[in-house]
Amino acid sequence: MSNTLKGAAAIVGVGTAGLGEAPGFNAMDIQALAVRAALDDAGLSLADVDGLFCANMSHTFPAISTIEYLGIAPRWIDGTNTGGSSFVAHAMSAAMALQAGLCDVALICYGATMRTGAGRMVPAAEQPAYEIPHQPRYPMTAYAMAAARHMAQFGTTREHLAEVALAARAWAQLNPDAFERGDLTMEDVLSSRMVLEPLTLRDCCLLTDGAGAVVMTRPDRARDLAQKPAYFLGGGVASYNRAISEMPDLTTTAAKDSGARAYAMAGLGPADMNVLQLYDAFTINVILFLEDLGFCPKGEGGAFVSGGHIAPGGGLPVNTNGGGLSFTHPGMYGIFTLIEATRQLRGEAGARQIPDAETVLCHGNGITLSHQATAILGSENTL
Amino acid sequence: MTASPDRPGPPPTGPDQQFQAHVADGRLWLQTCQDCGSAIFMPRILCPHCHSLSLQWAPASGLGTVYTRSVLHRRPKPGDDRPTEHAIVLVDLDEGPRIMSRLPDTPAADIRIGMRVRARIAGEDGARVVLFDPEESKT
Repeated sequence: MSNTLKGAAAIVGVGTAGLGEAPGFNAMDIQALAVRAALDDAGLSLADVDGLFCANMSHTFPAISTIEYLGIAPRWIDGTNTGGSSFVAHAMSAAMALQAGLCDVALICYGATMRTGAGRMVPAAEQPAYEIPHQPRYPMTAYAMAAARHMAQFGTTREHLAEVALAARAWAQLNPDAFERGDLTMEDVLSSRMVLEPLTLRDCCLLTDGAGAVVMTRPDRARDLAQKPAYFLGGGVASYNRAISEMPDLTTTAAKDSGARAYAMAGLGPADMNVLQLYDAFTINVILFLEDLGFCPKGEGGAFVSGGHIAPGGGLPVNTNGGGLSFTHPGMYGIFTLIEATRQLRGEAGARQIPDAETVLCHGNGITLSHQATAILGSENTL
Repeated sequence: MTASPDRPGPPPTGPDQQFQAHVADGRLWLQTCQDCGSAIFMPRILCPHCHSLSLQWAPASGLGTVYTRSVLHRRPKPGDDRPTEHAIVLVDLDEGPRIMSRLPDTPAADIRIGMRVRARIAGEDGARVVLFDPEESKT
């Protein structure tokens, strides 16, 4: 029963625009450029798009504003907003809508200009009422609290966290589109400015402009298009809480459930994954998700990432584009996990290409460890 | 609950209003589920554990344990005389629920995960909040 979405859809086009800084442009402008790039990539046009999946933090009604700006009239519209995880969740919703015949060409898109626009991470308009009086700094306070608890409970160290930042930078140095490509050492990370203890500046993602778009369709059509399809093999979502103070256990995220659901749908497990794209808003996220998604036991994520294990040349390639830490992070990052996964499966990732990548696990995180979405993509051989 | 001299106006009705009214009157009270016995925070209209609508207010012990902490390190700016360190904690109350708060009179470096703390209500009329102090120092 749960296998019905496996192979029901494929990513056939991906595009980005405005990565880094896009002065003078707004979110809808660069989103439209990314959409055009993704459709050009697929060999499709905006007139073909009849399903739209969209979320952002700049518009109250992101999907509707996107429809208006692009001049499209889709027959299926999904504006589910679960934070930065939205787009990974949309991949499963799009597969469902495509399979049900609600649409034939699904477009997932996002754009933001927080760097040149607001100059800061724009927090959500509504924040937890019982936390606000204590002046937390969202979203960072929540992740610092998770990191502090993980360190106290499992002995995770700042060096462990720094390993995640170093791996991201090493991958970014292989990606010409990455925003931060300079050399970074363990000492640089450990001595960078303490922002929200125990997290330093280098434990935090970038704040960039940027837009991304993904086009999905059913396999029969995908095979006739310009690019090698990246098939949707399985997905899952999970959420228990909005506020960090309502999270049952700050060292175990709902990725445990979203991942299990995605593996079950795909009929695959952690050992079958060739490449991982894990939403790394902060270094602790990667450690938590490696544990919760079954790549190492709970509490051992710090040791797992040590010695460059997730860096280029290591045992498990994670965030091969450089991630939110060094590639790009325009407020919501989830869509970039799908884009990099697709490029890896096509074999077009250049210097950072993982040889013979057949499976990629994408994981999106939303709000303050509040919503988790997992999607597993694979090549034709994995169907 | 009725209006008090400190709280003019109509009596509080919804769960948030009732919690805040207790705090305004200097008390940390929690909802307790009459069906499954769980103590509940944040205040709600139903029990998040068994989904019962039968909730009643009861005094909390005020005792708890620091579950985790974070410390904002501010870059000093001219004219900003706030402390450069701002520590926030999550406290696991002995009754069960977790609550975000601060230990305003305790240096950030002395706030340890696992330490025992006791609640107090502080702040001006109209803006009272639940804060904590180390419990060890009071024995």
